[in-house]
Amino acid sequence: MSAAIVRIAVLIFEVGRRCRAASFGGNIAKIAVLISLAVLAFSLANVRTATNDWFADGVAEYRTGQFADAAEAFENAAVVRPAAGTFVNLGLAEWQRGHAGPAILSWERARWIDPFDKSARENLNFARQVTQLDEPQLKWFETLSIWLPPAAWLWLAGASLWLAVGMILLPPVVRRQKAGWHQSLAACGLCVFLFSLAANWGVVSRTNLGFVLENNAPLLLTPTRDGEMISTLTPGESAREIRTLGDFYLIRTESQTGWVKREQFGLVSRE
Amino acid sequence: MEMVVTGKIQMRFVHCLISIIVALAAAPSLRAQVSPHVTADQAAKLQVPQPVVDISSPVTVTAAFDPPTAGVGQSVYYRVAIDGAGEAAVRWPGSISTPRELKFGPVTQGQLMEFLGNSFRPLASFLYEVKPAAAGHFTVPGFMVMVDGQPVQIPAATVDVDPSVSGPPPRRLMLEVSATNVFLGQPLRARVLLPASPQNQIEALREVEFNGAGFMSDLSTVRQTVEMTGINGRSVPAYIYEITLTPIETGPSMLSAQAFAAGHEFFGTTITARVSIQGGPPHYVFLDSNPVQVNVRPLPAGQPASFNGSIGTFTLTAPKLSTNRIQVGEPVRLTVAVRGTFDRLVPPAPPNASDWEIVPDNPPDFSFTLIPLSDTVRQTPAIPFSTFDPSNSSYVDLTIPSLPVAVTSEALPTEMPAVVDAGTAQGPPLKLGALSPSPGRSAAGLVPPQLRGGFVCLQIVPILAILGLWQWDRHRRFLEAHPEIVRRREARRVLRREKRRLRDATRRGDAAAIVRHAANAMKIASAPRYAAHPQALVCSDVLNHLDDADRSGAAGETVRKIFAAADTRFAAAPQMQADLAALQPDLDAVLLKLEEQL
Repeated sequence: MSAAIVRIAVLIFEVGRRCRAASFGGNIAKIAVLISLAVLAFSLANVRTATNDWFADGVAEYRTGQFADAAEAFENAAVVRPAAGTFVNLGLAEWQRGHAGPAILSWERARWIDPFDKSARENLNFARQVTQLDEPQLKWFETLSIWLPPAAWLWLAGASLWLAVGMILLPPVVRRQKAGWHQSLAACGLCVFLFSLAANWGVVSRTNLGFVLENNAPLLLTPTRDGEMISTLTPGESAREIRTLGDFYLIRTESQTGWVKREQFGLVSRE
Repeated sequence: MEMVVTGKIQMRFVHCLISIIVALAAAPSLRAQVSPHVTADQAAKLQVPQPVVDISSPVTVTAAFDPPTAGVGQSVYYRVAIDGAGEAAVRWPGSISTPRELKFGPVTQGQLMEFLGNSFRPLASFLYEVKPAAAGHFTVPGFMVMVDGQPVQIPAATVDVDPSVSGPPPRRLMLEVSATNVFLGQPLRARVLLPASPQNQIEALREVEFNGAGFMSDLSTVRQTVEMTGINGRSVPAYIYEITLTPIETGPSMLSAQAFAAGHEFFGTTITARVSIQGGPPHYVFLDSNPVQVNVRPLPAGQPASFNGSIGTFTLTAPKLSTNRIQVGEPVRLTVAVRGTFDRLVPPAPPNASDWEIVPDNPPDFSFTLIPLSDTVRQTPAIPFSTFDPSNSSYVDLTIPSLPVAVTSEALPTEMPAVVDAGTAQGPPLKLGALSPSPGRSAAGLVPPQLRGGFVCLQIVPILAILGLWQWDRHRRFLEAHPEIVRRREARRVLRREKRRLRDATRRGDAAAIVRHAANAMKIASAPRYAAHPQALVCSDVLNHLDDADRSGAAGETVRKIFAAADTRFAAAPQMQADLAALQPDLDAVLLKLEEQL
């Protein structure tokens, strides 16, 4: 977000410079550039202020022991700008409120955004020690996908693909003799692309991973309010979403499949 | 195979048949289930003897005037008592034959069950208020009524009406109500009084009933006392039966009371006055009261949604919480005290609040037990409550306001001891992490870009770039194969520049520049045909570019003149400017023709 805004600012600056150089419509161009910069600065300040205000409020409330208010503030900050640190703090506030399910979900979200976040990983380890819950079972390509953030895998796949394609197609176009390093780069690009395809598939596959939010949430046989209960779920227990029907998720835990209410189950990759 | 199956079926049939025969043979020797034997003595011990209702004894009837002697215009009662029959068993006639001088009012009837030690006996009584209009000795003749389908003779009764007699009025009940002008649903207190006799003897009342449509009595509010009370300006002892009546119909209504004077049967009566009570078996006398008119008004329109029927002049004290720091699931008590005078107080119903479980305490307590279900609540829910104040005929909003509370939840542990294995601690104790000081790495959203269409659309950019490069290379190769296209394109571009310079020179009137740029323009336009540098061409090369007609016509002449003028730059005498101006239209035409051939 901020990078995009900086790029737009640079673009506006460049246009203004060229307008001045071309000396046409000099004053109008200057005014337009100034107005654009003002609007941009205002928008940037608003976004930053809103996010930081919520985050700072949450930190202040947490330090005074108002964990419910802190959780609400961090939730608002996460809505404005989902960030790993915000989710780590949200998880801490939820844990202090005694909500193990939402806490584990928040830390998993923090790791979803930033797999290198140490505090999220340590908090998850601690929470699973306390609640005696296991980590979700991941397939090999899902394990691969947690090495980098989801967006990074996608950019890596795109860059490697077009690097390979470019190294194959461009030398004849620019009338260069095909060299050995061209082919080496193309081969490397293709290898990285194939590797990142598996990781990207792992990212997609992990989007149906979720966690139970409420204590003793009933796993139902049918997606109805008075459906027969199969068993009760532990907060923080992982499950896979199979499909959705109305206000219910059909989920598969490690041992059984059933329906659970939407408010009792949270997916990592969905707001 | 078929034989084996058939054999099995036959064996099963034989087994079934044998089982049925054995069961039938054993049936007579089996004992049926019997109920446990209970002897007559045991049964008698189990049964509690209940008094029976005696309806088999002969019915006895009495009819009399009370008092038997009265003055003209003085009220007397004509009372018929049928002992041994219930009120429903008697078919009382709609009208009875009475002397014209006696004005009979409407009949009042009632019944009670007399307790005779080991049985109950019904007693029905009928009462008329009579006003003698003239003096004399009057007799109500006997007549027949049907009791349980059997004719029963009502005996004759006589009354002497003497203008000189001014005795005490007949005994009757007195009815007092707390208000005669009330709103619908506004309870009123009714008092039925039976004053003591002149000998200070007091009697109890039984089977007190009220006559009058549109009133509901609340038996839980009955209060029976014997106390001193003011009657006609004198303080006299009286038996008082108090009860709360609630009007349920609007409009004027006549209310009266009836009861049986029941001697010394003071059940549940508080006696505070000094009176004498007559002994012996009670003599039940049916009495009624004077009617009282009660005007019932409807409640005004615009009832608030929170009005639940409470009527009175209320004030509520500030609500109090037993504590304002509670944990999720911990009950807290909210208490409100009611002040003022209230006719009817109905505690408000608890509102529906998603974060609270609200349990009203048992009436008449005006308190609630609140249980927070979430630690996000910051205050108790407001409890809507409105009342009607009859003193100023308006509704009053007495909603119980919210109170601030701090609700906490039971926290999970934030530290765990180190893993102990074989008596040795391994590693540091596990702890919950600290707050992150900054939001850290952020993302546009939690939905991965793999599931969004944007990134796929972005791949069009490199595809377009490669396609553009390929097209550019193809075009470049085409131009390499056809250099004349490049020469002509270049010639057109340079020609446009020379024509612009020519126009500038013409505008300035610079003859030398006109000739130079005109000659250059013609050379440039002709050069692509020869694949030669424009400056290498001469006049004949340009003329060869024209067709025969033009070459020999004005165009050819113009070309020759221009080149001749251009060549004179090497001569001593320059060309006349007037000639060049005359050549301008022809020059433009020649240049146009040459440009068309590019």
